Amino acid sequence: MSEIRNINAQRWLDAFSEPHAAIYTFSHCMALADLNGDNDYKLIVADLGTGTMNIKLKVYKGTSLFTESTLIDVPTGVVTFHMDVSEPRIPAVAVASGPNIYIYKNMRPYFKFSLPTLEVNALERDLWLQMRDKCMEVDTFFELIQNLRQEIGFTHLTPRSQQLLLLEHEKWKSFVETHVTTPLKKQTVITSITTLNKNMAEEDAVACLVVGTENGGIYVLDPEAFTVLESLSLSGCSSSNNTVPVHLVATGLFDVEYRILATCRDGTICLLRRGFQEAKVLVQLSTQVVAMVVILENNNIVTALMDRTIQCFTRKGKKHWEIKSPKNVTTMGVVPLHHLSLTLLAVAMTGGTVQLYEGRQLVDVVTVPDTVSALRFGHFGQEENTLILITVGGSLYVKILKRTAHFTPQNDCIGLVPAQQIKMAIPKKTKLFVEHTMRERENAIAMHQTFQHDLFRLRLNTARACVRALESCNNPISTSTVDPLKMTAQVLGLGPKFKLYLTLENMSVSSTSKDLAISFHCDDKIYSVEKPFIYIPVLAPGLTYQFETGVECVSELGISDQIRIFIVKLDQSEPLLAVMVAMPACDTLTNV
Amino acid sequence: MGIWDKLTRLLGLKKREVNVLVVGLNNSGKSTVINHFKSEEERSTEIVATVGFNVEKFRNKNVGFTAFDMSGQGRYRDLWEHYYKECQGIIFVVDSSDRLRLVVVRDELDLLLQHPDVTGRRIPILFFANKMDIREALSSVKIAAALGLERILDKPWHICASNALTGEGLQEGVEWLTQQIRELVSNK
Ligand SMILES: Nc1nc2c(ncn2[C@@H]2O[C@H](COP(=O)(O)OP(=O)(O)OP(=O)(O)O)[C@@H](O)[C@H]2O)c(=O)[nH]1
Ligand SMILES: [Mg+2]
Repeated sequence: MSEIRNINAQRWLDAFSEPHAAIYTFSHCMALADLNGDNDYKLIVADLGTGTMNIKLKVYKGTSLFTESTLIDVPTGVVTFHMDVSEPRIPAVAVASGPNIYIYKNMRPYFKFSLPTLEVNALERDLWLQMRDKCMEVDTFFELIQNLRQEIGFTHLTPRSQQLLLLEHEKWKSFVETHVTTPLKKQTVITSITTLNKNMAEEDAVACLVVGTENGGIYVLDPEAFTVLESLSLSGCSSSNNTVPVHLVATGLFDVEYRILATCRDGTICLLRRGFQEAKVLVQLSTQVVAMVVILENNNIVTALMDRTIQCFTRKGKKHWEIKSPKNVTTMGVVPLHHLSLTLLAVAMTGGTVQLYEGRQLVDVVTVPDTVSALRFGHFGQEENTLILITVGGSLYVKILKRTAHFTPQNDCIGLVPAQQIKMAIPKKTKLFVEHTMRERENAIAMHQTFQHDLFRLRLNTARACVRALESCNNPISTSTVDPLKMTAQVLGLGPKFKLYLTLENMSVSSTSKDLAISFHCDDKIYSVEKPFIYIPVLAPGLTYQFETGVECVSELGISDQIRIFIVKLDQSEPLLAVMVAMPACDTLTNV
Repeated sequence: MGIWDKLTRLLGLKKREVNVLVVGLNNSGKSTVINHFKSEEERSTEIVATVGFNVEKFRNKNVGFTAFDMSGQGRYRDLWEHYYKECQGIIFVVDSSDRLRLVVVRDELDLLLQHPDVTGRRIPILFFANKMDIREALSSVKIAAALGLERILDKPWHICASNALTGEGLQEGVEWLTQQIRELVSNK
């Protein structure tokens, strides 16, 4: 780890850090733009404050706060875009908040766009009307609204009914009384916002706004007139009713060909293209998505998931790779480095590390004292390669990439080592080796035939031995289903007196074997067996039994022979199993 | 005064032309600084961002200067080092209102000082803490501290606050540089 930090100290310059900046925000609510047309790029941040107070739109010029304006409601996204072709090229700022988009020009409020109102459910409207005319008790009214919720789903109710359903019993009445007279309106809220260039690819070309809404809608808005150019619904393209777009990425040109990717709360990634009647599900992920980015060079979609994985998909939705992240990911961002023709992926994790990946290769790590909640890389001030990090504690850190920095994969870290980088210790090709390979190449067919021949030989021999063993029952293991037995024999002693030890085991699970006997067969001119017949009354399953007998070599010649041992069932003619014991040669000298 | 005259004469015999390299980040005001040294009739009214580099000539106190006005943009900064060898003095222009990029200035200065064509040479370096008229501008003392100029022990250096638009502070700086170069030449 220390090694990485050293490299990192060489790559990134700490341009500015303000631990007490008190900005609480997410990557969506941060933008970098040349707001004054003087090539001094500003940082625009929508500060969420406490969530109810101190909600502000802040603009940083270099290291100092430039302007600050209060926002009415919690922002869900901030983007900058060019509304028209007028000179100087000053971009407008769009802040999405609730059902509205607030447009600022020259940092002054310019226009407010509101999402079109939706049709209220007829029954819901009737219920509220009846309530207004005081035809109903509050409790029955609540009950009926509750039933309606079961029927059409919470998200399809008006915000007023939703709010009512969340209230405690004693507050129902006063809530209904205060609101019942105003007309019922249903409007959804904006969950995400991005831009899509209209007909030119340049960075400062006119761009449309693309917004995703809580009811699963995607709208493309005209940059000048703010009319809805395109609207599509995501609900219905997936089985769950939770296809709410939370991350949007739009590429291409609206007038020519475009792709809008939306990751939804249910883990689907949907694709919208020019001419699509409805959205297409590109990927169905197993868990929820924390962040999504698209690498412009190859159109790869990279997602960070709740299960601590980072997964990459091709533009067609095919999985490309997956890596485990050591900690929970909080946000991601793209780091395009034009001077190196490289696009890195910045992944912020809990604890304050920001890892930089090239493809799936870890190439750098940047650390700050606290978990990063928002990050953005781009042109800030006069500097093109600036990384801006805002932590959960509200600190602001600005890092500048050194001009001399290069990124090479770090092998000893997570991520895979590319195969071509492993150097194997391959010995030098000797003359012998070369000749051998030549020979092998020339005689390939003959070699194969010889091998096959030998293989068949081996198989034949095995088969023969098997048949012989079966025929003679010369098998230390009885496979008979009634009496599965196993026997081993051991000869002890130097001769002429030997001891023969036999171990018998009943291998069946439960049934005992009865009325068995051991008998010995040998040339009586050579050996005499002390107990040629041993009766076994019973063999309990799972236990091993020991039997023994003395054997004496009676031959003077000092030759050795085999003894065959049979296990027989008393009323059967064929032995259950047989073992052949080769007796050792008897050392006659010791007998003397 | 006697020594001064002697020096001028000595220099007159030896060398009247010197090369200076003008470096600094983009937008720091290098071209504007050089433009100010040129005579009234040669001065250009509008200055655009330099591409690559420009060669400008001007005279100060009987010494002819050939200034290499380098571009400060990131992609052109690796051109600087090719001119270290031929120059007898370096003018380093810093935008003292660009606090964000002071680290970048320091980094570029370190690269310059570590370059084999610069280390070990007693080459005078003049720093202009330019754009002193802007409200957020840092003082020349603060700039010197931020860049760690006290670390430069083997070279004469000087920093002065300047405003290249009005010319304030520029004369002081270039006089110092002229004197340094003269001393160096006469000591040879
Ligand atoms: N306020 C103020 N502006 C200045 C000063 N000096 C230069 N400028 C302005 O700064 C901008 C950049 O000046 P240039 O001289 O082009 O900067 P440069 O260092 O040559 O830039 P590159 O050629 O891109 O490396 C111009 O708009 C100048 O008018 C100064 O002292 N004060
Ligand atoms: Mg210039």
